[in-house]
Amino acid sequence: MGLKQENNGWNPYIAGALTGLLLVFSVWFTGKYVGASTTFVRSAGFIEMLFSPERFAAIEYFKKEIPKIDWQFLFVVGIFFGALIASTTSNSFRLQAVPPMWERRFGTGKSKRAIVSFIGGAIAMFGARLADG
Amino acid sequence: MSDLIYGLATGIIFGFLLQKGRVIRYDKQMGALRLTDMTIVKFMLTTIIVAMVGVYLLKDLGLAKLSIKSTILGGNIIGGLIFGIGWGLLGYCPGTQMCALGEGRWDAIWGILGMLVGAGIFAEFYPALKNSVLQWGDYGKITIPQILGVNHWIIIILFIVIGLLTFRWFEKKGL
Repeated sequence: MGLKQENNGWNPYIAGALTGLLLVFSVWFTGKYVGASTTFVRSAGFIEMLFSPERFAAIEYFKKEIPKIDWQFLFVVGIFFGALIASTTSNSFRLQAVPPMWERRFGTGKSKRAIVSFIGGAIAMFGARLADG
Repeated sequence: MSDLIYGLATGIIFGFLLQKGRVIRYDKQMGALRLTDMTIVKFMLTTIIVAMVGVYLLKDLGLAKLSIKSTILGGNIIGGLIFGIGWGLLGYCPGTQMCALGEGRWDAIWGILGMLVGAGIFAEFYPALKNSVLQWGDYGKITIPQILGVNHWIIIILFIVIGLLTFRWFEKKGL
């Protein structure tokens, strides 16, 4: 293990440059700039709309960011499939609930990782929205 | 409809490249935050440099419009600090956790659920934030070349030079 783990990734400068080109083509052909966090707002809005329509209707922010399936929503879904394709075709897909660096420091407990991830995600998204990123 | 297909296609290529660049794993993201592995910084800076040159070329040729977000110091600085705390706990950001899930690192699910909740909480607080933090230091849609009153290519070239020097330093240090 450890040292024998696969690391046949691409050079980060090359992968980064290709990603830059992708962004340029996106702006050129469709006028779309990439982003992800608005999709989480819209999805949260969707969920509230389903479970608590009165509450949903009372929230101003969901009038600003109206829940809808748009370019960015599909972009975010696409990211998942892109990584799935890249990893399964290169033998780097691993079902893993606790990352190696976390495990070395905090142990193999899945629930500890889950709780911290959940809280971290909530804080990160709050901050991202505040910064409008 | 074609918008949605373009979105999906762009996302697939984006996720593919991020996975290939090995920039989405918890260990890589933490490596950057702990200043021990600069892989994701190399990737991001290269992406920014290429996209910056390309998008400004398109703009100068009249083929694209810039999409500038407002600079609101209160929101940007406080939001950035809060985001950093969350990122350090989770080890993924909004886009990369989708990627991490795609390569089987399913702890990303907890991050995704947390982010949905975080978005809901922000929506609850938005009216209060809108009248406070989000008014502190609101400079509107400004850009660096505009503030300095210089041609944007001067800033772009400067940015590229700083980027390349940073890369050289990373490689020298073996980061």
